[in-house]
Amino acid sequence: MKILIVGGGTGGSIVGNNVARRLADELAEGKVEITILSASDRHMYQPGLLYVAFGQMTPDQLYRDQRSLLEPGIYFEVDPVEEFRLDENKVKTRSGATHDYDILVIATGSRIVPEQVPGLKEGAELFYTEESAVKMFKRLSEFQGGKVGVVVGVPHKCPIAPVEVVFSLHDYFKSRGIRDKVDIKYHYPVGRVHTIENVAKWAKPEFDRMGVEYETLFNVKEVDAEKRVVRSEEGTEFEYDLLIAIPPHKGMEVIERQGLGEGGWIPTDRYKLTMEGYENVYVLGDTTNLPVSKTGSAAHFEAEVIAENIASVAKIGTPVRDYDGKVYCFIEAGHDRATYAMFNYQNPPNLKPASKSMHWFKMAYNQMYWSSVRGLL
Amino acid sequence: MNTQTGAVERDVGTDGNGNDEELSKLVEMGQLVMAAQDALADPIVSRLAGTLNEGMALVDRITRNKALMGLLQELERPESQALLKGLSAALRETGRALSASEKAKGGLGALVRVAREPGAEEGLRILALVGEHLSANVRGDRRQGK
Repeated sequence: MKILIVGGGTGGSIVGNNVARRLADELAEGKVEITILSASDRHMYQPGLLYVAFGQMTPDQLYRDQRSLLEPGIYFEVDPVEEFRLDENKVKTRSGATHDYDILVIATGSRIVPEQVPGLKEGAELFYTEESAVKMFKRLSEFQGGKVGVVVGVPHKCPIAPVEVVFSLHDYFKSRGIRDKVDIKYHYPVGRVHTIENVAKWAKPEFDRMGVEYETLFNVKEVDAEKRVVRSEEGTEFEYDLLIAIPPHKGMEVIERQGLGEGGWIPTDRYKLTMEGYENVYVLGDTTNLPVSKTGSAAHFEAEVIAENIASVAKIGTPVRDYDGKVYCFIEAGHDRATYAMFNYQNPPNLKPASKSMHWFKMAYNQMYWSSVRGLL
Repeated sequence: MNTQTGAVERDVGTDGNGNDEELSKLVEMGQLVMAAQDALADPIVSRLAGTLNEGMALVDRITRNKALMGLLQELERPESQALLKGLSAALRETGRALSASEKAKGGLGALVRVAREPGAEEGLRILALVGEHLSANVRGDRRQGK
């Protein structure tokens, strides 16, 4: 049986390692082959970019060699897929090679598209790439006071990021002793401060406590980098000295180009995690169109289900588990407190008060992530 | 009897229901947690977690590697322990001897001089034995398709 995994991020790596653990004997006997095709030989811990943007981590701490994270029986190649031939059970890669499969896992992730909002790239600081996070930290460290705006593009991955960045800004300026010289204003596209109702209920009084202003129903229309003004689709505007943006996201170009899903998000069965119309194609992580957060945690829980099902298909010919929509998000409430949101298709999150212990749990998880990727946690 | 009474008095505490005693234990526990929180810092937590993470990965890899687990079992046997001790001592003494000796000049004469020493003969015998058993075991495994 040939198992082909496209994408070596959190989801793809966990599926590969987990399947390799479950089918160790079959792999050793040559009855099963696992291949991972990726665009990079380095694996990045993406949530760490927020820490880089605030000088709490340096970029080198976010990376590991991809091969070092994979089970020895997995064949890994840096050769991204350029063409999916789903009706022939084949993919074609950038190098021109063709790989056939019995089971395909698509875990290609997402990408930022700040260019969708005129002026956003030029006028705002981002932290969704290594370069932009470092640049944002340099801007922050030079900042001596004024108006700081946070704006949010849709859709975007890590739904908690807009709230976390506000907490981090507050604590960062406070630690530099200039909080009283900085006005922070948060702008959010829906009618409350967060799309998840209970997160909104928790965050609003926290914003009030920190003296953070907020404007809801603010969908970013354009940024005038020269005049330092951001305007909304709703007709309001904000003059800023420093603008921080959560950019809009899309699925990977190859998915969109091949018409596998609108916006690059593949239509996926919410329980089986198979691509609609293809029982032997699994989709996970940011790549799906599921109504769950686009986070590493969602990819992790989905990967567990997919790996168990692939192993059971190999052993007894049928999948055994359903995905219940589970997501677990840490929420950094500044530089020394945190809480978490856990939810699934049935149950909304119930946020607990932020604490230092949870912050350390998050700090510890930043290291333990690598054990998750190895399929150990 | 007296000791038993004393123990009961300590358990019951001052209000007769044990509440003060429990409360003071809770306070003590709270102080312990606070002390740990004050003593720790983000980099310490990160380092501890990083070490734990690498340790877990290492243990995981070793315990799922049949060959390595077999080697560990062998090394635990008493005769292997003696061999390990001997190997440790040999490494230490070889290091000392090498640093004290002159660089080898080479040539057949030098080789003959080394071969005449009883220790060299013993050493060659050990290496030959290891080679013989290694070869036999690897061939045996191949025949069994392992």
